[in-house]
Amino acid sequence: MTILRNLSIPLLIMTSSVSLIWWTFPEGLSTARTLGIVLGWAGCSLLLAGLLLMIRETWLARWLGGLERMYQWHHWAGTTAYVLLLAHPLMLAADVWPNSRLLAWQTLSPFTQGWPIWAGWLSLLLLMFGLAATFIMRIPYQIWRWLHFGLGVGVLLGLVHLVLLGISEPVLPILGLAVSFLGWRLIRDDFGLAARPYVVGSVKTVAEGIVEISLKPLADPAAITPGQFVLVAFLGPTFRDSGEFHPFTVSSIGANHEIGIAVKALGDCTRHIQSVEPGTMVRVHGAFGTFLADRPQRPQLWIAGGIGIMPFLALLRAGPVNQPTTLLYLYRTEVDAAFLHELRALAEVDHQLSLKALATGDEVPDLNSLLHDTQGLAHYECYLCGPQGMVAALREDLHNRGVTPHQIHFEKFDFR
Amino acid sequence: MRRLYLSATFIFWLLVTAFWVGSLWLPPAEKSAAIAVDKSISLAELAKHRTPENCWVAIRGNVYDLSAYLPEHPSQPDILLSWCGKEATEAYNTKSKGRPHSSYADELLVKYRIGLLASGKP
Repeated sequence: MTILRNLSIPLLIMTSSVSLIWWTFPEGLSTARTLGIVLGWAGCSLLLAGLLLMIRETWLARWLGGLERMYQWHHWAGTTAYVLLLAHPLMLAADVWPNSRLLAWQTLSPFTQGWPIWAGWLSLLLLMFGLAATFIMRIPYQIWRWLHFGLGVGVLLGLVHLVLLGISEPVLPILGLAVSFLGWRLIRDDFGLAARPYVVGSVKTVAEGIVEISLKPLADPAAITPGQFVLVAFLGPTFRDSGEFHPFTVSSIGANHEIGIAVKALGDCTRHIQSVEPGTMVRVHGAFGTFLADRPQRPQLWIAGGIGIMPFLALLRAGPVNQPTTLLYLYRTEVDAAFLHELRALAEVDHQLSLKALATGDEVPDLNSLLHDTQGLAHYECYLCGPQGMVAALREDLHNRGVTPHQIHFEKFDFR
Repeated sequence: MRRLYLSATFIFWLLVTAFWVGSLWLPPAEKSAAIAVDKSISLAELAKHRTPENCWVAIRGNVYDLSAYLPEHPSQPDILLSWCGKEATEAYNTKSKGRPHSSYADELLVKYRIGLLASGKP
């Protein structure tokens, strides 16, 4: 089942690309022109897959192996499509270069070819600027968001380029799908139609700059399991600038479907949320994530860095662990150690749970000094949650200690 | 991914610039080479070439053998095929929503020119 989930996205991308290329494959043309046309259709197919992969629906995420996986492939498909689409006009120009250099330039230049080629160029430029915002510029989230939205417009302009060239088949169905995917994302996800209404029950400060907020459902509650995260939008005039959906890992799931989320003040929006009042309306979309799902019956090593304790806390709050588990909780200083007292209390009553808590300062922790070889880490399933730098360093350490990549589980939790 | 984006974008602009520079250095001999034939072709002769394998089209007083170009035309084949063996200036000038073909298309046609359309009777 896991293998099928892991293969679902590459299979989907491969099937759609091969089908489209087979359908549109030109006959009787030169090699360079054929290649140029095939590159264009392959890029078109990847862009369409990229649009599908940015849709946030729980059932779709389940089919495709999780939202994080979908976002990784969304980035891959978008970047690869961009490279193929850059090569597309160059190959068409290269095809006529041996016969006429002037004609080769006129193949590329929008100034000699009118609207069809202008649409193609505008599409490429929007893709170029949108991806530059992702890869190069360190810009505020709101500006990044608009530039990223421009990528969607770029995809549509690319399809308009084909329509203006007089190619209606199979462009019109693809255009229909692209508009559907973009509209779906905009209406269901960004406007919150897929989300459920909740209300803030209580707000508790659990460490410096960290609050735990309880959310009570006002209608059908979202189906959530420990280790998952939800997308939450805080409503009301005070949240006008930060009222969009942000991911938060669930820290508790109550019997009455009340959920807890912990929010650390990392940016303008999360700083603002620290002062949220009980009674504030929120919308909750989810749940997503497969981080702690399908855990094998083997000894477990959980390593949490700071706010990364949340998925483990949610699981421990749901009941005792059912296999020997070592929880290594790392935080910068003692004032950052959220929920430490509660975790110690849970470890005292759960004889299979061993808790090690340590303030590491600003240094990346050295696993060798924290876990001795006698523990036989090679037989453990390791779950990591924390800052990206810490997770990367720990993965390397674990690998050096004989833990295979299949035994190391982590979520990047990066939704840009 | 970042490195791929940067290198692909850099190479793209480098090649676009190379194509532009290549077109500037070119002597305009290319055009004249293609306009070597001045054979006069009547409408009756033109009408005999109306199949996909043998497709002549008259545009703006010139006759073009578009048989080899048909598979490359970006629109659906039927659109261009219906003009094989005919005078198609009006269709050429009103491609979509009344707009003419681009100067690129004009340049492309030169390669396929085979003669002049005889004026007057067929």
